[in-house]
Amino acid sequence: MASQVGFLYIPNRCIQCWACQVSCKQWHGIKAGSIARRVVVDTVEGEFPKVQRTFNSKACNYCETPACLEACPVGAISKRKDNGAVVVDQDTCISCKTCVEACPYDVPQYDPEHGEKMDKCDHCMSLNVGDGEETRCVQTCPTQALHSGTLEELKKKAEEMGLTVEPLDGPLNPSVLIAK
Amino acid sequence: MDKNVSRRGFVGASAALGSLLALGACSNANVGDTPANDSSKESSKTSTTAQVSQDPREGCEVSNNWCQMCGAAQTNCCVTCYTKDGKLVYIEGNPDAGNNGGQETHSICLKGNAAVSMPYSPQRIQYPMKRVGEKGEGKFERITWEQAIKEIAAKFKENKEKYGPESLGILSPEFYPVLGTLGRRFLNVYGSPNYMHSGICALQRMAAGKISIGKAKTAPAQMDKTKLLVVWGANYGNSGMNKGNPAKHVKAQEKGMKVISIKPMLDPMAARSDIWMPIRPGTDAALGLAFLNVIIGEEFYDKEFVENWTVGFDELAEHVKPFTPAWASEITGLEESQINEVAHMLGTESPLGIIYGNGICDQANDGNWQAVIPCLISAITGNLDIPGGGGAGKKMPAPLVKLNPVDRLTDRLQASEEDKAKGYHAGMAKLNAPEFPRWYQNPKTWESGPNTAYYKGIMSILTEKPYPIKTLLGQKSNPMSSTRQPKKVAEALKKCDCYVAMDTTWNASCDYADYVLPAATGYETSHQIALKNRPNGTFIGMNNGTIEPMYESKSDWQFYLDLAVELGMGEDFWNGDMDECLREQLEGTGITLEELRSAPKGIFIKREDGAKPEEPTYKNYEKLFEDLPEGKVQCKNLRIGGKPNNTETGTLGYFPEYKGPQETLQDKELAEKYPLIITDVHAHRTCQHGHYHDVAYLRELAPYPWVIINPKAADKYGIKDDQWVRVESPHGYVKLRTKFYEGISPEVLMTKRGFAQPCDDLGLEGYPNYDGGSEINVLYDSEIENFDDFNSAMAKQTLVSITPWEEK
Repeated sequence: MASQVGFLYIPNRCIQCWACQVSCKQWHGIKAGSIARRVVVDTVEGEFPKVQRTFNSKACNYCETPACLEACPVGAISKRKDNGAVVVDQDTCISCKTCVEACPYDVPQYDPEHGEKMDKCDHCMSLNVGDGEETRCVQTCPTQALHSGTLEELKKKAEEMGLTVEPLDGPLNPSVLIAK
Repeated sequence: MDKNVSRRGFVGASAALGSLLALGACSNANVGDTPANDSSKESSKTSTTAQVSQDPREGCEVSNNWCQMCGAAQTNCCVTCYTKDGKLVYIEGNPDAGNNGGQETHSICLKGNAAVSMPYSPQRIQYPMKRVGEKGEGKFERITWEQAIKEIAAKFKENKEKYGPESLGILSPEFYPVLGTLGRRFLNVYGSPNYMHSGICALQRMAAGKISIGKAKTAPAQMDKTKLLVVWGANYGNSGMNKGNPAKHVKAQEKGMKVISIKPMLDPMAARSDIWMPIRPGTDAALGLAFLNVIIGEEFYDKEFVENWTVGFDELAEHVKPFTPAWASEITGLEESQINEVAHMLGTESPLGIIYGNGICDQANDGNWQAVIPCLISAITGNLDIPGGGGAGKKMPAPLVKLNPVDRLTDRLQASEEDKAKGYHAGMAKLNAPEFPRWYQNPKTWESGPNTAYYKGIMSILTEKPYPIKTLLGQKSNPMSSTRQPKKVAEALKKCDCYVAMDTTWNASCDYADYVLPAATGYETSHQIALKNRPNGTFIGMNNGTIEPMYESKSDWQFYLDLAVELGMGEDFWNGDMDECLREQLEGTGITLEELRSAPKGIFIKREDGAKPEEPTYKNYEKLFEDLPEGKVQCKNLRIGGKPNNTETGTLGYFPEYKGPQETLQDKELAEKYPLIITDVHAHRTCQHGHYHDVAYLRELAPYPWVIINPKAADKYGIKDDQWVRVESPHGYVKLRTKFYEGISPEVLMTKRGFAQPCDDLGLEGYPNYDGGSEINVLYDSEIENFDDFNSAMAKQTLVSITPWEEK
């Protein structure tokens, strides 16, 4: 594989401001009250007053071996050869939701407004973002907690920022780097 | 609810617009390997049909605007707007404007992103209306702008003749540049000093600094050099997110900065701190006194600084002796050991920066002293004006062009005999209800002119003391949520001779108005210019009039001009031509109005002289303290001590004092009936005070009026998660929906005000501002005698009970 697109997420920079989530909706024309291709989740551990609160800005993890792709009975999901992006062909999708069951990260979404076709992050390729421009969620982030690009680029970026990164902990070899 | 029905019936025609809110076509992820023009190859896993990969900005018209979402006419961030067929479809940050604390990115916060649908809200006020029913009934008839201006001007004139020009009050919702410039000018020419300012503002915090440490600051201007940052009652994750503090904060932490958060709830920004002090709301002055007790008692202070640059230090040392950490622990609910630990850190770790915010100072009965304390801590520990400590910003190169400020014609406000006799500034003697003491308000301390306190001024309508405000103008201000006790405000508005409300969307106070006027949003007008000077150049941005004004909405700036012309004041208001006012601002810049108005990304003048931000002179104390008595930090406050308070019922003290909220857990009898403390976040990143609850992208993140409760407390009172509850204080009751969270004390509830707007796109209702509604201000004490006697701050803490909601 030539390269693999993904994200770099720096949890300690995230303040759950939701700008990434809303920007994604704005640029992809996703109606409020329906689906979200990116969400910022909140994890609270411990009991008052010893409480740890962490955030995670989540979208598709662009797995090396996507379970959704394997599970899809009609071949609507594919992994691009040039950049490793996992993409869905909504015209082929039969709305069987098999991918929802298969994905361990709860990524596939179904929006009734769009004929119940599988929907998920496309790394902003549909917006022609890619030639040097980062994805919309990344461009809008007020604290630069999120970065997009190929894994090579992202590793280099983390190094420049003096951050140690590890791949997201989880199955299928996800293409998301998490800063420690 | 009848009020809502009749009003909704009237503007109901706009509801159809909601369906336009699909926000452009959905472009789904059909983005396989195959290029668009090569869709013939089929069935491979890596090819798709209907390739739609294209930059949606292509083919759009591009224009520039100051983002309106942190307050109408604020100029914090500039955005690039994309329109298609006259409709606003995309918004991104303008890199040239250096949003986000100077970053050259497209960054813009969630509100800036959500603004694409804001102008199209079904809640927009569509045309001028005149009351036809009883006040508060919410019955109106449509009138023309011509009739509205004519009749309003006639009323202004009549009341000026009958009751004097000071009978006019203009409500200031926050620092609203339209009011700060043209509103002031209008008041000055008309002859009233009554600019009615909220008392809940950065102005309060600034004043606390001015009277204690002069021009010095406690917040670090070079946070990258700060070793210890104290975030005290501030939440820049909610308010002014894109001004840059969140980014500076998290990046400085990567370099080792330690952070202490002092606030009742572990909010998302506080989650990024090393130590959290979960203080009981409204008790910050007690904590601060204990900090001073330890810092002074254990001699952590900077002896050289104290010796040379303070007055009354020994007396302060004596004053704080009784306020031990053990004493403060009882009041604040904090562990004594934690108070000690943090006091040691404040006394020993430097550079220390302290950011104190809205949560203290402007929303507590002893707010002024609450904020004076961090100023004194920063001073006596030797942290003022050192790199990474308080203030001490790099010296910016001069802007490459300068805008001329709008002349407020301050000298037109006439000085009365009493003003002259007492040495007041013009207008002060006639001020209806001074926000700060009359003797204090002068050109060096004013925001933009004399201020009457918002709530106190409105109450003069009921008490008629010292005289009633007869004519009231509210632009983008909702007195039913912007201040305390809407029940009393409603009473006052009913009695008000003439209330004119102008807003983009219906607000709860419109029901009580005699005239309701449709205001245009910033995206629909082209009447504001602002400048940002940055290290690498100077940016000038102007609202470009991105879209045509919806319905009959009009620019707030133009409204003043039209009203002035009708009142015969046209000569002072460019004879009604707003472009003339704008040309005046641009004079000498070499930039024409037409150039700027059509510049789709504003104008950025690159710095080519090689000038860079320079190291300032640090510890510039002589200059910083020059306006203070004896030119020194006021450990004993000679600036205000012994002088009349703002209600002229007593004198101000010399030393910080803890007063606390009106209702506290220490009152055992009251606490038995109302065992929980409640407060609210004041500002929140999903809205702008009471506005934008109609914006779908924001409302979906906070659909219901929420109250955060610790699961243990909920268990104790038989409350479940996500349940409607009745929260009752000695002053009123509200209906809220619970959210369980461990990051709050089991004795504290946290909520948010201003949920009156429905969100039609999501089918979510708005909630009334009375008992049984969801406006938190019905819960708080609103006795004027309890307000802060220097800065008019009002407590936003009280005691409540919580029970499951039962529909009667």
